[in-house]
Amino acid sequence: MKMRYRLNWLMASLACACLTGIGCNNSKSGNGASTGGNSTAATGNTGGSSSSKPQTFTLAWSEYPSWSIFGVADEVGLINGKAGELGSIEKKHNVDIVLQLAGYDACITLYGNSKADAVCITNIDILGASSSRNSVAILPTSTSAGADACIAGGVGSIEELAGKTTRGLEKSVSQYAFERCLEKLGKNPADYPFSNMDPEQAAQAFQGKDANVTSIMVWNPFVMQSLRSRTDAKVLFSSDSIQEEIIDMVVVGKDALDRPGGKAFADAILETFYAMNKRMADPTTSDSTMIGIGARFAKLELDDMKTIVQQTKFYGDPKVAKELFASEKFQKETMPLVSKFCVKYGLTPTPVEISFGDAKGVMEFDTKYLDAYVASQASGAAGK
Amino acid sequence: MIRREIPNWLFIGLAVAGVVVLLVGYELLSVRQTRINPKQTTIPSFEKLAEGVKRVFAKQGLPENPKPAMFWQDMRATLWRLFVGLSIGVTASIAIGVLMGAYRWIEAPLSPVVMFLSKIPQTAMMPIYFAIAGTDQKMFTSMVALGIFFSMAQAIYSAVRDNVTDEAINKAYTLGASEMEVIYEVIWKQILPNVIDCIRAQIGPALIFLIAAEWLIGDVGVGYQLRTQSRVLSMNVVFVYLFVLGILGVVAEYGLVWLRRTLCPWFEGN
Repeated sequence: MKMRYRLNWLMASLACACLTGIGCNNSKSGNGASTGGNSTAATGNTGGSSSSKPQTFTLAWSEYPSWSIFGVADEVGLINGKAGELGSIEKKHNVDIVLQLAGYDACITLYGNSKADAVCITNIDILGASSSRNSVAILPTSTSAGADACIAGGVGSIEELAGKTTRGLEKSVSQYAFERCLEKLGKNPADYPFSNMDPEQAAQAFQGKDANVTSIMVWNPFVMQSLRSRTDAKVLFSSDSIQEEIIDMVVVGKDALDRPGGKAFADAILETFYAMNKRMADPTTSDSTMIGIGARFAKLELDDMKTIVQQTKFYGDPKVAKELFASEKFQKETMPLVSKFCVKYGLTPTPVEISFGDAKGVMEFDTKYLDAYVASQASGAAGK
Repeated sequence: MIRREIPNWLFIGLAVAGVVVLLVGYELLSVRQTRINPKQTTIPSFEKLAEGVKRVFAKQGLPENPKPAMFWQDMRATLWRLFVGLSIGVTASIAIGVLMGAYRWIEAPLSPVVMFLSKIPQTAMMPIYFAIAGTDQKMFTSMVALGIFFSMAQAIYSAVRDNVTDEAINKAYTLGASEMEVIYEVIWKQILPNVIDCIRAQIGPALIFLIAAEWLIGDVGVGYQLRTQSRVLSMNVVFVYLFVLGILGVVAEYGLVWLRRTLCPWFEGN
């Protein structure tokens, strides 16, 4: 009996240890292979793509100003985030977009492990993910222009911060911004310790005047909340000094783009994003859209959202978005810096091959979909 | 027939087969996943797992200023937090549980509170613990201690009430024992095996609280590393940590069963 007891435990423990990992990883989202036949059949149909069964694609997104747009687009009916239900843009492109809302980290894990076809992510974190999945950035949504900030309480200047630990998300966009801003200010990042803490928890600890958390590097809405709840809180530096370096984007797996309907999915994502930007620009819908985003994002009021949108500059114009991806600075300076950061902190073991428009890289920045959107708008206008 | 014995060799053979099936199943899943995406890290092959092992044990820091490997840093932090937290939680719950079981005037005010709080899932209490305990070492240990305290105090109180008979206590009094002697010689010795079983049952929950806390605010430790490595998609490192957690669970289980057998041989077979 003793023997049996022991072995049972051994087996149970082994099984638990291994199954924890396997259980949540063994199926793949959006089964393209089994539905491939449908679209082939439909190509002979003169009715065009709208008569074939729409393919399903999943977008993993977290609440952030230029990404919460997708949540609001679902609310206003442009797209429908549920599987099997279509909004107006989904109907037009004959594709079923499934919105998967999760925390920022969780989105990266979902995407990297092929549980989502596309993800809302920054140009820093995507390099880590692209080393396990070939990726294409199809749309820059915004750049951080003050939305990532180092906030300190009881620390008067950057000189005083030296030697004091700043808390924020390690090996991620926060740490990148922290180091780059210091470099820009002529400081050596090695003199400024940085230690991991979840941004939300760090902001809460800071707001609660935790003696161990005197300075934090976080993103919005935590920046705004922290400044508001502590009168002695001060922004020491922010991503305002490194504009167009931190890019918030939508990235799609190369495998997903190659699946039937992949291009339609990318087109629909772009159309949704720009349609929502138009709503924000249009005086009749602007406030309600902003309020919608603010409510989703962090229960913010209109005035706060106006500040947030200044600190997170939207790429509301596809031509500006294209200029960014095509610019010398982005290709020759920003991405190599990001790549260096990723190797330094072990996000990628070796530099990731990055390419711009020739599809050679593991990580590809492609303006093809932006071009297609601009062209479709032009022909749409001509048609009228 | 139910519970019919099978030969030992067959039992061992089947046990080994179970593990082999698990490993083969894992490998098949890994191969399948690799066919879908050759670069996948979701279910790493055994080769990739070996790389993961190498990575977690690789020396850190500069050659002139070496730091322990990632694995040892994390394990030391987590096990120390667990040990201190468990020690405090277990000691406090034994004290309160025994007193509640021994004295009606302590039982009366405490039992409704302890009963009520032990029924709230302790993970749901986490936001409150965060707010009370701050973000340093103290916070991790209090997370573990508070997390196990209520349900363990409740269990020990029940053990004293139900397992220690009035006859045993009265006999001790008749033989001239003082109150302290009754508590130590009769109550404590009678419930010791229950206490050990309680600790066995609480190690799992204690680890859950600790890993959850490290996940959110840690800058070292198993929970911190699991979160960070899963974000950068180094699942081979994640699997190594999970495997070690499993092994530690088995070791703790054996250790405590052995302790119970050694300290309370009379209890076996009850």
